[in-house]
Amino acid sequence: MKNSRFLLPLVWLTIFASSCTTNTTDPVDLPKGEFEDGVLIMNEGAFGVNDGEVFHYDPATGVIKENIFRTKNSRPFGGLIQDMVEAEGRLYLVANTGKVEIVIPKDFSLVGGVSLGLDNSRSLVSVNQRLFISDWGPYDGDFNNPDSYIAVVNDLNGGPIAKKIPVSSRPEGMIVAGNFIYVACSAAKKFDVISIASETLAASVAVEGTPSEFLQIEGRLFLYATDENNVFFHEVNPGNYTVVKTTKIPLTNPTPIIALGEGSEVFVVTSTGWPDYDDAVAKVSVNNGQVTNPSFYVGNGIYGIGFKIEGKEIYVAEHNGFQGNGSVFILSPLGILVKTLTVGKGPSGFIFK
Amino acid sequence: MIDPDTVTLPSVEVFSPDIEKYTFGNKVNTITEAELINFQGWPFSDFLQKRTGLFLRQYGSGMLSSLTMRGTSAGHNAVFWNGLPINSPSLGQSDFSIIPVGGFDQASVHFGSGGALYGTDAIGGAVHLTNKLKFGEGHQVRIGSLFGSFGIWNQQLEYGFSNQQFSARTRVYRNFSENDFPFLNITKFGTPMERQDHAKVIQQGGIEDLAWKINSKNLISSSIWWNGTEREIQPIMGSNTKDFQTDTNLRWVLDYFHFSKNKVWNLKSGLVRDDQVFNTSRNQTIQYFLAADMDWEIGRNWNSKTGIRYTYIVGNLSTFRAQESRIELYQSTNFQPNEKLSFSFNLRQMVFDRKIAPFTPSLGGEWQVWENQSSQILFKSNLARSFKVPTLNDRFWVPGGNQDLKSEKSWSGEMSLVYSFKKDNFDLNQRMTYYRMKVDNWIIWLPKGNIWNPQNIREVQNSGVEYSLELSQKIRNWNLALTTNYAWTQAINQTDISENDRSKGNQLPFTPEQKFQSLFSIGKGVFSTFLNFQRVGERFTGTDGSGRLEPYQLWDLGSNCNWSFKKLSGNIGFQINNLFNTDYQVMPLRAMPGRNYQFNLNIRI
Repeated sequence: MKNSRFLLPLVWLTIFASSCTTNTTDPVDLPKGEFEDGVLIMNEGAFGVNDGEVFHYDPATGVIKENIFRTKNSRPFGGLIQDMVEAEGRLYLVANTGKVEIVIPKDFSLVGGVSLGLDNSRSLVSVNQRLFISDWGPYDGDFNNPDSYIAVVNDLNGGPIAKKIPVSSRPEGMIVAGNFIYVACSAAKKFDVISIASETLAASVAVEGTPSEFLQIEGRLFLYATDENNVFFHEVNPGNYTVVKTTKIPLTNPTPIIALGEGSEVFVVTSTGWPDYDDAVAKVSVNNGQVTNPSFYVGNGIYGIGFKIEGKEIYVAEHNGFQGNGSVFILSPLGILVKTLTVGKGPSGFIFK
Repeated sequence: MIDPDTVTLPSVEVFSPDIEKYTFGNKVNTITEAELINFQGWPFSDFLQKRTGLFLRQYGSGMLSSLTMRGTSAGHNAVFWNGLPINSPSLGQSDFSIIPVGGFDQASVHFGSGGALYGTDAIGGAVHLTNKLKFGEGHQVRIGSLFGSFGIWNQQLEYGFSNQQFSARTRVYRNFSENDFPFLNITKFGTPMERQDHAKVIQQGGIEDLAWKINSKNLISSSIWWNGTEREIQPIMGSNTKDFQTDTNLRWVLDYFHFSKNKVWNLKSGLVRDDQVFNTSRNQTIQYFLAADMDWEIGRNWNSKTGIRYTYIVGNLSTFRAQESRIELYQSTNFQPNEKLSFSFNLRQMVFDRKIAPFTPSLGGEWQVWENQSSQILFKSNLARSFKVPTLNDRFWVPGGNQDLKSEKSWSGEMSLVYSFKKDNFDLNQRMTYYRMKVDNWIIWLPKGNIWNPQNIREVQNSGVEYSLELSQKIRNWNLALTTNYAWTQAINQTDISENDRSKGNQLPFTPEQKFQSLFSIGKGVFSTFLNFQRVGERFTGTDGSGRLEPYQLWDLGSNCNWSFKKLSGNIGFQINNLFNTDYQVMPLRAMPGRNYQFNLNIRI
């Protein structure tokens, strides 16, 4: 106690001195989070085991961290991951087993989730501090999904579903453009438009092909769709949701698995189908409406693809029959194999940070 | 423990072929009615999991349970009911969770390859369920009830009458489980404790057994079993699925036996019909059987059995229809040159769908190595080939069925040492078995694009050690008994399915390398108490050793009292399962019940 009267002024002096010497114009050099850099690899998981997980790959060191959701939260993810969306300082892991888990991207610590009321969730967007989750809805007796919906959650950290907006069958990818949320509905072969203000369905537009995903290419909004022999890029006016133009590119056996490359270049995974099922990655140019390379990469069981802007590398994921862990092949811009990674079950997507 | 089946009237068991007769060199365990009595109405899978060294893949409490023997797959064991093969021809396996204890009197488990003895599927082993009818018992009534936690309520009513020529028995049962046990939902934010929803099981059925001894040389016996199970399919943890499944099984067998001086002729016919409705998807298979064999005692040292079995299969599956005829010829021979040496030599050839299945011979032998007044050491060995024809689904499923599939085939060999000791009131039996097996053309379904397609792609080498111990001691009025089973199983994949596959050299998924089970019981007079322990080692969900599932160990504790009152007798029992409330999963993310209680009462009149 005797010395405490000297201690308090000393603490104040130290704080004052340090505040004077700190250059307030420089950013504070906080340590980076464990997963703030590098590549997050989404592994869907195997059906019936529901062991979806996220791996982290650091290209600088070559180190892979496995099962980071489980490692950081001491429990399994327990679902089949369909999408991994980073928004509003959070990472949303969407599982088709009817849940969304929400983590902080830098360290994967759990902050919340949506677990009640979902059926077959596919993707997510956030707007106006709300979450919009596309969901196929329940299956009927013929394994169709007539009651698909977009679930609205009024909290970025999840919680109860406030509202379900009915949409056309099997909503997949979504995008926020202007005052609307655009939803690609694969079974209905339509895209639906949801008014953000009223949270109601504003329009439902039929398109050629089976739509799966929206893309922003050079500032323009496109809907990607496929049929057996073509890929379609439907350019949509985000102001009035009309299809301005459709670019139809002949390509045999395209799949919904794509990645946007440089400019208007899109990597499209193709599969020859029965009985050989030889898979490949084709490169198409949306601006030119042409296939620039039909077999940029040839593989088997290709399940995901990503384009890393830095270094222009292409990441191709193969599921290895879902019998065990999958593989990721890192390709140079010329398609030369640079590195092979062993990842989780059913690797299907990437976030490059 | 006093056998509750002890009867006061002199009785003679209705003749049925001895399953173990041509199995010298093999390991066959028999599960008696006395061992089953406290499991009235429980799925047979639960009994096998708790009381044997076998491992079953249980997809939840009361849900699909498939047996894996010696590291083979769920479809690599043959299941028989009174001599009829009852594996589904479309799935190639049996769901042991819908076979209720009480639907049969006795079970025998044949470990290891038995293709020459039993036909298709018996690569890892075979399970025989038999009804043991008796003559000369008069009128008998038995009422069995079992109440337990989470809404378990099993009831069985049985009436039988038999004299020296005629025997009849009728059994009806109803088994119910709400299955709403609490569990820790580790897939949800905050890992809440929840009650299992959507896992109710309702099962009911009836069995009629008849036997008529026409005269000393002719006997007719028949059994019919109808079993219906309605299940809410327990969703995988974190999933909201609401699937329903109904299984209806009708089994009928008719045997005619003719006994001559040194021969037993058996004419057998039967029917096995399985109807399964999964949500709205309907699948039906019907198998018709006609078989004949002659068991012949050729001389003092030789026995022979020659037979033929014809099977006609009709499959009305949700995506295809198929018919198939199968015919198989078999020959079994026993040779016992002296009291210390015995051999079994079996042959079988099946033709199915105009294709020739692998020819399957087996040769086994037993040698009494050493014996004195109290001890005996036996050496047993067996070499066998087995096979499994591709299932209807493997060949005809739309889309993906592959009609070019070959039969899976295996070679296996085993050696056992059996040591028995008996002195005064002390009994000891030990058995140690080492086996090796190679399974080729193993069929696995692989995704090709959006379609899954079966292929003969895998080769697996299995090896392992099985140890069993049976020990009993009577000290004054106290009876002590200990049984132990240990299985060390290596099922190593020898193939990679693609350049990037890393399966080769790894243990097959969902196959524990180790399982240990032990039952200790102590009794005095009509009272007995037991403590049962089982430990299942780690398993993997991936073929490449990925996805580790934690080992688990469970303890059960129970007491039993046999009683009699005037003309009534029976037993009453109380049991605590999962004594230490262990949180465990047999299969990934399939919740299993924690500590639970059961009370059972059996009354005989």
